[in-house]
Amino acid sequence: MGMANPEFLKGTLDMLILRTLSRGPNHGYRIALHIRRLSLDAFRVGEGSLYPALQRLLINGWVQAEWALTDTNRKARVYRITPTGRRQLAEEVREFDFILAAIARVMEGA
Amino acid sequence: MRFWNRFRLRARTAGRLERELVDEIRLHREMIEEEFIRDGMSRTEAARAAAQQFGNSSSAADLSRDEWTFPRLDAVAKDVRFALRLMLRHPLLTGAAVLTVAFGVGANTAILSILETVLLNPLGMRHTDRVMAAQVHVDRLHMKGAAGSAADLRDIRGLSDVFSAAAGVEGGVWTYQAGGEAVRLIGRAVTPEFFRVFDASPALGRFFNADDRESVVLSYGMWQSQFGGDASALGRTITLDDKPYRIVGVAPAGFHYPADAQAFVPLAISPQRYAEGHGNNMNLTLLARLRTGVTPLAAIVRVHRFSTAQQAADTAEGRDMAKFGYGLDLLPFADFLSGDLRSPLWLLWAAALVVLLTGCANVAGLLLTRSSARRKEIAIRLSLGATRWQIVRQLLLESTLLGVAGGLAGLAMAKLAVSLVTRVSVPGKQLLALVGLDHRMLLYGLGLAMASGLLFGLVPAVQMLRESQTSEMARNRRRWFQDLFITAEVGGAFVLLVITGLLLRSLWMVEQIQPGFDVHNVTTAYFTKPHNDPAFASRLETALQNAPGVEAAALAYPVPFSQGGLTSGFGIRNRQQQPGEPEFHGEAYFVTPEYFRTMRIPLVAGRNLAAGDTAEAPLVCLIDRKLADRFFPSQNPIGQEISMYKGWARIVGVTAAVRADGLEEETRPVVYYSLPQIPFFAQSGVVLRSAVPAAALIRATVRRTNSTVPVYDLQTMEERMGEKLGIRRVLAALLAIFGVISLLLATIGIYGVIAQVVAERTQEIGVRMALGARPAQIQRQFMGQGLRAAGLGLALGAMVTLYVQKWISGMLYQVKAFDAGTIGISLAAVLTVLLLAVWWPARRASRISPQTALRYE
Repeated sequence: MGMANPEFLKGTLDMLILRTLSRGPNHGYRIALHIRRLSLDAFRVGEGSLYPALQRLLINGWVQAEWALTDTNRKARVYRITPTGRRQLAEEVREFDFILAAIARVMEGA
Repeated sequence: MRFWNRFRLRARTAGRLERELVDEIRLHREMIEEEFIRDGMSRTEAARAAAQQFGNSSSAADLSRDEWTFPRLDAVAKDVRFALRLMLRHPLLTGAAVLTVAFGVGANTAILSILETVLLNPLGMRHTDRVMAAQVHVDRLHMKGAAGSAADLRDIRGLSDVFSAAAGVEGGVWTYQAGGEAVRLIGRAVTPEFFRVFDASPALGRFFNADDRESVVLSYGMWQSQFGGDASALGRTITLDDKPYRIVGVAPAGFHYPADAQAFVPLAISPQRYAEGHGNNMNLTLLARLRTGVTPLAAIVRVHRFSTAQQAADTAEGRDMAKFGYGLDLLPFADFLSGDLRSPLWLLWAAALVVLLTGCANVAGLLLTRSSARRKEIAIRLSLGATRWQIVRQLLLESTLLGVAGGLAGLAMAKLAVSLVTRVSVPGKQLLALVGLDHRMLLYGLGLAMASGLLFGLVPAVQMLRESQTSEMARNRRRWFQDLFITAEVGGAFVLLVITGLLLRSLWMVEQIQPGFDVHNVTTAYFTKPHNDPAFASRLETALQNAPGVEAAALAYPVPFSQGGLTSGFGIRNRQQQPGEPEFHGEAYFVTPEYFRTMRIPLVAGRNLAAGDTAEAPLVCLIDRKLADRFFPSQNPIGQEISMYKGWARIVGVTAAVRADGLEEETRPVVYYSLPQIPFFAQSGVVLRSAVPAAALIRATVRRTNSTVPVYDLQTMEERMGEKLGIRRVLAALLAIFGVISLLLATIGIYGVIAQVVAERTQEIGVRMALGARPAQIQRQFMGQGLRAAGLGLALGAMVTLYVQKWISGMLYQVKAFDAGTIGISLAAVLTVLLLAVWWPARRASRISPQTALRYE
């Protein structure tokens, strides 16, 4: 599961999930799969982090969930990003860019 | 937002949330498996790989759950559930603990609510801490706490350096026509300053000013009940004793003094009455308000100095006052109200606290015993990763729950007790009628219960933690705790028993006193004499005497054991009081001739009062044996003349001596006048002897004779005497209950502790027996441990008793505070029970067979 620092991951994972969902509603397994594929297997999101994160997002009102049929005709819980979730995503992306840039500057300057 | 969403999520049934989460995670797992199968694994391989990758699916669910639950709150809830299960699994232990706490808390709460109403916050009135009452003492006549005369009111008014207002209050009883029915209305006649003394403002209208005469201020209750709280009542007129009074105001709702007063009228004191001087017409209750900045103590000292100075004055009045030891006592309003109830109530409260503490010690002992049985459970939980704090929390929670359960049961008990108390008949019962359990009392009770729970939970909890460290040290320390319990319990029980014993003996002494007449089968009542029907009294007497089932009936004022005879000094014709001779002072009763037959008071010399002793005939009287012996020791009193009321009256007969006021009070010599010769009084009493209680008969006869006459205060003679004994009986009974319970608790507690010690040391006993110790030695050793601590408790208890005895001597009657018999019996009782409690487990220890003992555990 890629990231070494769980605290760092915790915040980042929320952002990654929101980003994934911003492309369209999806269920847990596909969210994890998506993150893994796009990160070229760098982030293997474990279920022990994924589902707590999803619950957290639900509680914050950033995603909604409902039971729906998957393309393989299974009943799965499908998550959908809410407008406040989108705003939160934008906020987090901005922060992330800021931090990334800061880190980059430190690394280059060293 | 976050918080709210959590709640919303929780609000959906937790079960559904749980199911959804599990479903979701299972699906995920299946999908991973499918992925592996697609990658070419077999189904079993895929399952194993998925499990590996997935990890523990229940921990994933747990972690997710933590997001939407309140972990800490849930942990507490879990602890509570666990504690409740434990409590239910040991119903006997739980029941014992809950009952113990319930009794302690119940008794405490009930007694505190009484204390609150009677002593701390008298009558629920505000700001009474600035109100003082003045009472007269006449040392020579053993008179204390008496009402004052007009001269005393003038004196108090004159002390304007300490008082900002002073008022005199006189009783008032009127016949009030309410809706065509004659009702007896109790009120007070008060001087205009009365309401200012209490710093009260009217709920409606105004209070009195100096020129008010036929005005009335209604109590709030009367205004509500008779006028429905209608403001138009102001200015209307009510008729009291056929005289019209204009309603000028209404007292505020919280104004409960005097507790029975329904209306107030202005009291105008005539200049003549002031001029009569001290000691005459003593029927004024004197109240005063402290000037700002003056402490109660300063005022008390001021009044004392004033009285001393008055007695020292070289005037006729000063010499008179010095001779009688006449002076004023000032006391806080609360003390004045509670009077005789004061010390008994504090005593009961202290006793209830002792019971509660004994109970707590016992429950702590019980829990301690169980805690050793739970050592294994605790050890397992500690090794599974529970923190010490979690264990302590669990233990404290358990004990607090026990405490609260006990507290709730206790409050229910208190509620019951308070409703009983308000019906007890003791002097001052109007006060008790106001006692209620309010929310502060409920808080006090629950607080007490929780504190008890924490108290008796803390000891085992701390113990348990220590135990997990160093077992032998802990065991020693626990023994120290146990010794402390035994000492405290035995001490408390002993003190309570001694006090109970003293009070029971006093009660017994008082009950032995003979009043001097036959109190059985006598019914009594009062009625108000109608103004427009002068012959009513004699018609009523005849009607009562002729009623079916009546053995004898008479009129009397006052009725014995109601308000006491009218006390007065008297003169003896042709005699001057000699130095050293007792004061010419006695109490008078005004009766019809049948009185003596009705009360079965024997006539020892001379003749009875007769029908011919009417207002026109020469004034005559009877005296009792006590008066004859005291003032005519060497001469025949018959034919002598004394003056007490209305001039010289010839003594025509002597009756046996009676105690007609209170059983334990110093009896005064009695003079009986013929009621028709002294028609001063607005009311009169009935005494009637019949085989069955005759309250209804008296009521009906009065109504038939004249329907406008109110009849009241119907009681049998025994009830009246019971009322005088009431406080003693109630006090002795309650203390006896407390004493027995605390002794019982102590016994159980000591038994438990020793039994526990024996159980713990079974192996050691076995070894010692195997090495040749004799059973008697073993037994002695264990008894020794219990008795040493108990002996210390007894010694401490004896010391406390010595200290407390000074304090309770006022409640005793003809029993010395240090009564060897009572102390001996209490000691014997405690020792007997104690020996049994210690002997039983010690004997069991001595019977342990070495073989079983060594195999033990």
